[in-house]
Amino acid sequence: MELPNHSPVNFIFPNDHEITWSLLIVIYPYITGLIAGAFVVSALYKVFKIKEFKCIEDFALVAAFCFGLFAALPLLAHLGQPQRALNIFFTPHASSAMSIFGYVYGSYMILLIIELWLVYRPYFILKVNATEGLEQRLWWLLTLGVTIYNPDSAKLDNKLEVFLAGIGIPWACALHGYVGFIFGSVKARAWWATPLQPLIFLLSAIVSGMAILLIMYTFIKWRQGARYDFVMIKKYATILWAVFILDFVLEILEVIFAAYEKGHHWSLIGPLLKGPLFETYVIGQLLILSTIPFFLLGYAALVDVKEKSLLYLANIGSFLLTLQVLLMRYNVVIGGQMVAKSERGFVKFHWDFFSGEGVLVCVAIFVMPFITYYVISQFIPIFEEEEDEITKPVERQARRFRRSLRENR
Amino acid sequence: MANPTPYSHLYRLGLVLITGLVLFMMIMIAQTPASWNYEVWYRGDALVEMKSIPIVYGGNESCVECHADEDEEMAEYAHKLLNCEGCHGPLTLHVQDGEKTADAVGKSDWQCLNCHQAQISNPLDYPQFPGDISKHENIKKNTLCVKCHAPHDPALSEEDEDEAMFEF
Amino acid sequence: MRELIPGVNVTDINDIDSKSRREFVKKALSGSALMLLVYAPGAAALHGRGTGWKQMSTEHRYAYVIDIHACIGWGGCIRACKQENHVPDNMFRTWLERYVITEDGEVYVDSPDGGLKGFPPLNDEIQSKTSISFFVPKMCNHCEHPPCVQVCPVGATFKSPEGFVLIDHAHCIGCAYCVQACPYGARFYNTEIGKSDKCSWCYHRVQDGKSPVCVEACPTGARKFGDLLDPDSDVAKILAGRQWAVLKPEVFTSPTCFYISLPHEVV
Repeated sequence: MELPNHSPVNFIFPNDHEITWSLLIVIYPYITGLIAGAFVVSALYKVFKIKEFKCIEDFALVAAFCFGLFAALPLLAHLGQPQRALNIFFTPHASSAMSIFGYVYGSYMILLIIELWLVYRPYFILKVNATEGLEQRLWWLLTLGVTIYNPDSAKLDNKLEVFLAGIGIPWACALHGYVGFIFGSVKARAWWATPLQPLIFLLSAIVSGMAILLIMYTFIKWRQGARYDFVMIKKYATILWAVFILDFVLEILEVIFAAYEKGHHWSLIGPLLKGPLFETYVIGQLLILSTIPFFLLGYAALVDVKEKSLLYLANIGSFLLTLQVLLMRYNVVIGGQMVAKSERGFVKFHWDFFSGEGVLVCVAIFVMPFITYYVISQFIPIFEEEEDEITKPVERQARRFRRSLRENR
Repeated sequence: MANPTPYSHLYRLGLVLITGLVLFMMIMIAQTPASWNYEVWYRGDALVEMKSIPIVYGGNESCVECHADEDEEMAEYAHKLLNCEGCHGPLTLHVQDGEKTADAVGKSDWQCLNCHQAQISNPLDYPQFPGDISKHENIKKNTLCVKCHAPHDPALSEEDEDEAMFEF
Repeated sequence: MRELIPGVNVTDINDIDSKSRREFVKKALSGSALMLLVYAPGAAALHGRGTGWKQMSTEHRYAYVIDIHACIGWGGCIRACKQENHVPDNMFRTWLERYVITEDGEVYVDSPDGGLKGFPPLNDEIQSKTSISFFVPKMCNHCEHPPCVQVCPVGATFKSPEGFVLIDHAHCIGCAYCVQACPYGARFYNTEIGKSDKCSWCYHRVQDGKSPVCVEACPTGARKFGDLLDPDSDVAKILAGRQWAVLKPEVFTSPTCFYISLPHEVV
């Protein structure tokens, strides 16, 4: 294996033998990315008026919220002193990207919760009036005690929703751009330190968020036996394809630029990509998981494909893209730490399954948003088309109510 | 409840947010360490605490307190620059609260070779020994370095050398 | 002594009059005020917040000097540091490296157990083709612009007024961002206490009037520690000779650990 700076021996500083940021830090930007991606989908309808996405705007918002709840959990699990985690908020060091992330993330979650609350407020009010006892108290709490729906407030809420979605887009972008900044600003890590890093993280976040939403959508509709909205899927695949092209261009641009420049950067990254990252980066991320979805989604977007084929194309493409982004997070986070600070060797990464930072914990954290989504979906209606299957009259009433509100917009 | 105005839920939301913010600020103020230095951004007391970490190595000046004679002798020896504890172990393993708790260590070949085994990486004018006793000038028998070289005063005069030759 | 510390850039030698420098500072400050309004964290980062010691009065400005020529690689400094600072196995607040540069320009570097037990002699094959070989003591550089301090999210690591870069273990959350940010591998994640850890220049000893334990342990004077504000100190005299170098100058951290006779192969 070729080592950086033509070193004949793999020399690593004695403190550098362990990869300090392990798999938990791989899924942290991954889950954070899913929030940004999901939020952008809901905003595409609200702000950019892409009418095909009307049927998934609430779904995207709820999904973003579920991912948001668990975005900071990997970080917390990784901390040596998790009981002091709130120090990030109490004594925030303004020059630290990580501490500012705490505030960006916190405020973004508040924005997301307000947006969700406005969307579901009519439903909460209905529930208060249709339930009794403890259940009623809980729904009452969610209405903040305003249990009568004033039709004038519907228009107001609507405007506010659009406004929040509008500022939510730059906020979501800032959220994930900041994750890229956390890595990109570390000059000690050649593979991280590029000004493109925030942009790459942002675009890949949108790709992964959109991709995973489509898979969730298909899965939910399949389980419910409901019909798929193929017009939406077509549009969705097209936008996903376009965002992925942008994402991929930036990813590859960074490497090509460094390779052509042949500077200090490349003296470390070149051997890294030819050596320890060859399988996961060149073969996995670039050749397999980028090329195939590019053609699948491109076909779905450009050619007039039939319903079933469209569904398969879009979903297989999306699934591969979720893997592509996951692998990209791995390649960045772990790959960056593989370049030894001695600039004369590579640090080996040890796969770990059962330890506190192992695969098992990561999988456990990663399924939590989906479980949360399932639980939430038991309490609030997420898809409008569910109306036919809904038996409870209250919920049917809520549907009609919300739909009439929408039509009044 | 009375018929709400179109804004009443927003007022309540605002109230919740403001209450939350005030609560957060209060917790933040309570949780910020009292000695926090806002200019440099660190906990001022940290320096005080770090200052009081107990010392393990006392330095030669602490050895002199009991071993003044050895210190006086050392002034002329080749090893005069050395740190006593480098060979004899740290002060706190030897003395606690002014009382001797254990013997100081010393006198093994490993300790001599640790510095004087020939290394291509060492300065050229540094006294070095090949490490293998059979390569020692005039000496073929396996023995301890300290038999001939007093650890405090390792240099041998010509007479010493003759005497040493006689012994082996 | 301040101008001996790297990082002061002037475009023209004639620029070094205090008036134009003051004006430059003024301009920079007014610019930063605007930036602060727009983007406080960015501005803070640009102006090196977290190294505010410059505004604080201080009687000492410590520096460390390592003389490559004098080091014999015996490892006593490493052992002393381990005991003095209770450093766990396989973690190092200071360590030794052995460089071997062959006649064909190949660079072999090793550091068996950080040089804790000294170095075994090189094998004959490498010895026969060696052009030059030497030991390099390494440790925290106590940078003037420490990237580790910049990234700490909670202010648990900081530059003290006297030049020490320290970790407040009672405030550290153990995120290890500082470990990532250090270009020198001087910081490590101490798994025994679940916090970041590193060389403190033996703050507790220095405040007690002693030297850092590695300096104390060094038999050849390869490690020196002293006060730059005292013109008679060893380090002040050595730096006045201007024959020093620092590690990785390209990352602009302005270390205050200075090396004498540092070959350019050393990273």
